[in-house]
Amino acid sequence: MYKLLLSWRYLKTRFIALASIVSVTLGVATLIVVNSVMAGFVDQMQSRLHGILSDVEVAAPLLGEITYPKEHVAVIRELLGDDVEELTCVVRNPALLSFEFHGRQWTQQVMLMGIDDETFGKVTDFEPYLTNELKRERFSFELEEKGYESKYQPSGWDYRREVAENKKQLAELMQQHQNAYEVAAAAYLEESDPNGAKIKVNGPDGERKVQLRPLPARVPQHSQAIAEDASAKSDSTVHQAATIPNASNLSNEGKTQKVSPFDPHANLRKQVAPEDMFDAAKDQYTGIILGQAISQRKTTNDDGEIVDLYMVRPGDDVQIMFPSVGSRAQPVSDNCTVVDFYSSNMHEYDSTFAFMPLSALQDMRGMIDPLTGDGTVSTIQIKLKEGADLDAARDKLIARFPPSQYPYDIHTWQDTQRPLLSAVSMELTILNILLFLIIAVAGFGILATFFMIVVEKTRDIGILKALGAPSRGVMSIFLGYGMSLGTVGTGAGILLGLLFIRYINQIADLVAYVTGQEVFDPTIYYFSEIPTIVNPLMVVLVAIGAIGIAVLASVLPALRAARLHPVEALRYE
Amino acid sequence: MKLKVARPTAMSVAGLYKSYRKGKLEVPVLKGVDLSVDEGSFTAIVGQSGSGKSTLLHLMGTLDAPDAGEINYRDQRIDHLPSKQLEKLRNTEFGLIFQFYHLLPELTTLENVLVPRMVQDGFFKYLRNKKQYTQRATELLELVGLTHRLTHKPSELSGGEMQRTAIARSLISNPSILLADEPTGNLDAENGAEVMETLHRLREQENLTLLMVTHDSELANKADNVIHLVNGVVAD
Repeated sequence: MYKLLLSWRYLKTRFIALASIVSVTLGVATLIVVNSVMAGFVDQMQSRLHGILSDVEVAAPLLGEITYPKEHVAVIRELLGDDVEELTCVVRNPALLSFEFHGRQWTQQVMLMGIDDETFGKVTDFEPYLTNELKRERFSFELEEKGYESKYQPSGWDYRREVAENKKQLAELMQQHQNAYEVAAAAYLEESDPNGAKIKVNGPDGERKVQLRPLPARVPQHSQAIAEDASAKSDSTVHQAATIPNASNLSNEGKTQKVSPFDPHANLRKQVAPEDMFDAAKDQYTGIILGQAISQRKTTNDDGEIVDLYMVRPGDDVQIMFPSVGSRAQPVSDNCTVVDFYSSNMHEYDSTFAFMPLSALQDMRGMIDPLTGDGTVSTIQIKLKEGADLDAARDKLIARFPPSQYPYDIHTWQDTQRPLLSAVSMELTILNILLFLIIAVAGFGILATFFMIVVEKTRDIGILKALGAPSRGVMSIFLGYGMSLGTVGTGAGILLGLLFIRYINQIADLVAYVTGQEVFDPTIYYFSEIPTIVNPLMVVLVAIGAIGIAVLASVLPALRAARLHPVEALRYE
Repeated sequence: MKLKVARPTAMSVAGLYKSYRKGKLEVPVLKGVDLSVDEGSFTAIVGQSGSGKSTLLHLMGTLDAPDAGEINYRDQRIDHLPSKQLEKLRNTEFGLIFQFYHLLPELTTLENVLVPRMVQDGFFKYLRNKKQYTQRATELLELVGLTHRLTHKPSELSGGEMQRTAIARSLISNPSILLADEPTGNLDAENGAEVMETLHRLREQENLTLLMVTHDSELANKADNVIHLVNGVVAD
């Protein structure tokens, strides 16, 4: 009883004890806050890392193929049985993506994924990260009229029509210039001497004579035939104009235009019916979804703020190029229309991946067997049921498709991201050790404080012993004292830590307001608010650890108190 | 002329030696002390400073162990008992009173008086008996005239009041022998007389044996038995 009473009285009457409590409180609060924020980050990161990676995947080597994917799928389903939630086949190959921006051609390397729009979204977290809300609800590779986020505006069909209209006007303008030029050139050639014409040119240095020689006949054989055909109706000077080949070919496709008498391709052009032509204002190429960072550039606006610039937006056309399959790979290229962005906020993914329909990619790469109509794939992705053991499933698959017989790389998503995941977990461990040192420092504070209190209380200890208190009892006064310091400090720390986490965003805003420095810049971290996860087990462990350290720190002073000789202690002044 | 009645021996010591170390030097304090204290008597130990009288009292109160010799309490040798039994002995059989009162400054008068009971009982036993103990402590404080000081801290009391609290504390466990080490040594004459008066009154009321160390010969004169200690031995 006296132990409790004295522990309590010492706690109440010693301000120095308050300092120990505060240090324990701060240590505990810091540990809880940091752990919760880190757990929040890790959780966010893991779900993003997992994003478009399936649980387990059977992958052919780069540019390789898995033949008979249907049979493989059947084998895998049988092998893994009830663990399988869904399976999807994917063609994955590196590709070059090029697009035009401000008159320049930009080319970028991407990882092109041919995905099955039925099953891919069920195997991976693909759809939630699409930027168009309509696509999130009902996925397709069609360009949408609306639903694109404001930061990607202008985009969609309106944008595409506008671009098409602008291009058309530009082409018409260029055509007008071309026609004017041709008319002028024809007029000039009529006037001048066909064999070494002399023209008057008014230069800055007065009048001088320029020798204009006839252009050499560089026209290829077939153009010449066309030109000759055309020349049947006109006079011989047309030959000169025809030596500038394809000049009028800048004109747009699908545009009904006045056929120029100088157009060498006039006859070819006539053969294509206008209604079959591709009209950019009405049609789209194969849909492609780009990672939003692929065409993203940071730039400053007029106010000096850093803004995102998208060189390609949904509605724009891009060209992709990649090798075909087979032992002698040929480059294949085609047009695609960007229909949406993929934005997981994982830069690694957002700057790498582009998605297009599986069948289109198989077709372009020559993966479809012309006899059966079945396509090969490069990867089979498997989603397992909640709680299934990924590593066990992977090992089963490796046993079924041993590396000695099959050229497949079989791995879980964690295997793929192992370096990053283990780096993060190591970071967390080190951070925890460092933070626990804070509590250890608080422990040394308690140790010093307690030694002082024991010295101060030497006579009291003598009195207690003289009155028959055992050494153990005296010791437990100080152990109890340490424990109550630890408990009070820890309790306050848990409370403070949880409050801090509860209001962490408000606190971040306040700090940003006071210092003028954004604590947690959403444009860098992609989080609109600081993610936190409070793990009750972590809180309990921290509490036990802190109380343990407080008790440990009081062991030495308590032992010293217990060892005091009553007579010497009583004599102590 | 004092009345001499044959009474049983409460405590006796024989051939008690004790020395203290001061660095490398060994300082002998007690050099073979023999004495006996009768049950219910008042024995005074007098002597000069440094004669070893406080050390003798500490040894008899089992606060310290002798180098040689034996200490008997009620025909039982107590100097080499295990510490647990010594603690019990100090707690229940002996009442200790010190020159510097030795009260716990964090506790009130009442709590200070109750400390031996708190030490004696476990947590739950104490809580069960608390009412009874508190009643007894209040009674004792009434006997020493401190009813109005129950909730005061020692720092708010005068020296005489503190010593009277210490006396009340020494009696709370109903001991059979009181060991007092110069109880009036730190008090002025008036307060000292008051304390002595309290002590005698209680001793008679409770029929206690009192062994008191003092250098005040006037106090010693009131004792049944006076033992002179000179240089660590009993002088006749």
